[in-house]
Amino acid sequence: MSDPVQKVRDEFGTWMKENLAGEFACLKWRGTFGDDEAYPELRQKWEQKLGADGWVGVGWPKKYGGRGYSLPEMVAYNEEYARYGGPGRSGHIGETLFGPTVIAFGTEEQKKQFLPGIRAGTEYWCQGYSEPNAGSDLSNIKTKARLVGDEWVVDGQKIWTSLAVDADWVFVIARAEEGSKGRNGLVFLLVPLDQPGVEIRPITQITGGSEFNELFFTEAKTAKGNILGGVGDGWKIAMALLGFERGASTLGQQMIFANEVNEIIKLAKINGAYHDPHIRQRIAKAYAGLKIMRFSALRMLSGAEKGEWGPETYTSKIYWATWHRDLGELAMDVVGSEAEIMKDGEFGALQKMFLFSRADTIYAGTNQIQRNMIAERALGMPKEPRGDPNA
Amino acid sequence: MAYPFSEDHDMIREAVRGWAQDWFDGGQGPEGVHKAGTGFDAKAWESLTKELGMAGVAIDEAYGGAGLGDLGRVVIMEELGASLASVPFLSTCGISVDLITACGSDAAKADLLPKIASGELIVSYCDGHNALKLEDGKISGGVSHVVSAANADLILLSLRDADKIEIIAIPNKTNGLQIKAHQTMDPTRAVADIRLDAVNKSDVTIIGTISEADLNELVIQSFIALAAECIGGAQKCLDMTLEYTGQRVQFDRTIASFQAIKHKCADMYVAIEEARSAVYYAATAEPAEKTEAALIAKATATEMFFKVAGDAIQLHGGIGFTWEYPLHFFFKRARANRTMFGTPTRDYERLAVGLLGDAA
Repeated sequence: MSDPVQKVRDEFGTWMKENLAGEFACLKWRGTFGDDEAYPELRQKWEQKLGADGWVGVGWPKKYGGRGYSLPEMVAYNEEYARYGGPGRSGHIGETLFGPTVIAFGTEEQKKQFLPGIRAGTEYWCQGYSEPNAGSDLSNIKTKARLVGDEWVVDGQKIWTSLAVDADWVFVIARAEEGSKGRNGLVFLLVPLDQPGVEIRPITQITGGSEFNELFFTEAKTAKGNILGGVGDGWKIAMALLGFERGASTLGQQMIFANEVNEIIKLAKINGAYHDPHIRQRIAKAYAGLKIMRFSALRMLSGAEKGEWGPETYTSKIYWATWHRDLGELAMDVVGSEAEIMKDGEFGALQKMFLFSRADTIYAGTNQIQRNMIAERALGMPKEPRGDPNA
Repeated sequence: MAYPFSEDHDMIREAVRGWAQDWFDGGQGPEGVHKAGTGFDAKAWESLTKELGMAGVAIDEAYGGAGLGDLGRVVIMEELGASLASVPFLSTCGISVDLITACGSDAAKADLLPKIASGELIVSYCDGHNALKLEDGKISGGVSHVVSAANADLILLSLRDADKIEIIAIPNKTNGLQIKAHQTMDPTRAVADIRLDAVNKSDVTIIGTISEADLNELVIQSFIALAAECIGGAQKCLDMTLEYTGQRVQFDRTIASFQAIKHKCADMYVAIEEARSAVYYAATAEPAEKTEAALIAKATATEMFFKVAGDAIQLHGGIGFTWEYPLHFFFKRARANRTMFGTPTRDYERLAVGLLGDAA
């Protein structure tokens, strides 16, 4: 019997080699975090190419157009994608976050309505979670939703929404019960972006780019049926969504990191930085850290295959984020005085990586929030006392 | 890598954990060994090997062992690390067993491995091929700071003879062999200097021959056991810290409820778990990857243990600084492990040579 994981590697690896070529060749290694604005139209075309050959949503059940891949098959798929320098996926929020959430919480009608567009690379999604006053304290959401006739009417502001400019839909957590607090009274709404009640403003970042956006809702409307679950289910669904991405994509991400480490090593050999004993130590440590990330991912995934994500899973985000931020600093020291120079008035790949890596330890739970989670959930230490807003 | 441990491993862990924590809490313990001044608890060794039968964990079943390889050794070393049990497991059941298995003659294997497995023989190995000289059939020279040599029945050494390296075995009472034990900062593990004064080569047993490259790889791979000890020791330090900070009340709260404490504990946990991944991976790695994985595991785990043990003292406050509270023994063991087989800095430089070539 042939090994199904090897079959994925052979089949998809071959597909990548043959298809990430020609007009798509310029996409190699592009469009990943920190470079999200590269070739937006061509990357959507690439997404459609993947979709046409059945390579979008491979982890979804077969009846929803997926391939029903197991976790090890998903890992192989993600690794092959990254091995050939597959570009940042324009559709990843729909595919890896929203799709599995609809499959878990949506009605059959909603699945029929939303999954095919994601699967074909024709409909794009973004995430409306954070607000100016609901960052680390996410449940402090102020965006309001009220049901008026056959429509939900949404008012408020979301921030740090990536890929919003090219998206068609946003999923929004909003407060539907007047006077409710924290995790209660929230709804998970699906809102079309192309309407007068929605304004998207790109945020210019320290990279000079604008992957993140602000979303303003002023009596924005969506049909009554565009809700997952009911009133009060918003928090539960929002958190479940965050759990879906965990795991399978990390090994693909590590290949992107490995590519960066290789670039740094290559450069150190060319420009003589390799003579410096301190640089040598840092490069060796970065390499060891990369390997350890891989060892950890394999260890945690093998636990997950047995049905249990162990408490050690809480360590991955802070570890890779801190490692990657350190790598950015190392890259600049290896580049040396040249690090200051912008060729053709633009940041080079390592400069972009250095600047964008400052976000790694902030988004998806800051290092400080990660430490709280590790202390409370993995180590069972007491919860932080809640503050009194009137104090 | 699947979840690496089998039911056999889990059973061994349970048995050794109970045994080791009894030794730590109610038995001789680190303080008892310190008072005895020997860096070695002969009774504990007898109990671990003869009652629990753990010395043969990595020895082939054909020679009376359990055949559980590196991973079996990792399990035991973790538990020994969590108790600082003063037994010569690392030297006897680690590199010594591996060397005899890898290059020993059939006669040497049949003679030595069953004796090690049954706990009759304590063995200590150190590299001698650059320190010892062979002239007119006599071996002379010295090696410093050899782990568990003072308690060993048999000293294994590498010896350069013309263009090959021989592994030789010298019984501790051999004429011309001196073993001088040191007083050590970490009182729980004995370290000694070995001196050979014109020892007759005919008085030593030749175990077998090995290439220098193979020997170096084998030695590096044996670091996995030391790295596993670091994981066990660090986990114990974190457990003690969680227990203490969960009881200690200041400002009307347990200090475990303060973020300053929680965040440091979280960092300790991250460091332990990442090092643990490195150790488990190295123990199960394919031969082509094993040496590099062992180097990463050793560098990471020895640095981690030292950091975690130091942080544990910090989070215990004043009591962590006392002799009475046993945390200092872990801190001292962690310090010793950082330099026992070369510093982490040297390990990283070895990796750097592979990645970048020589520095010059």
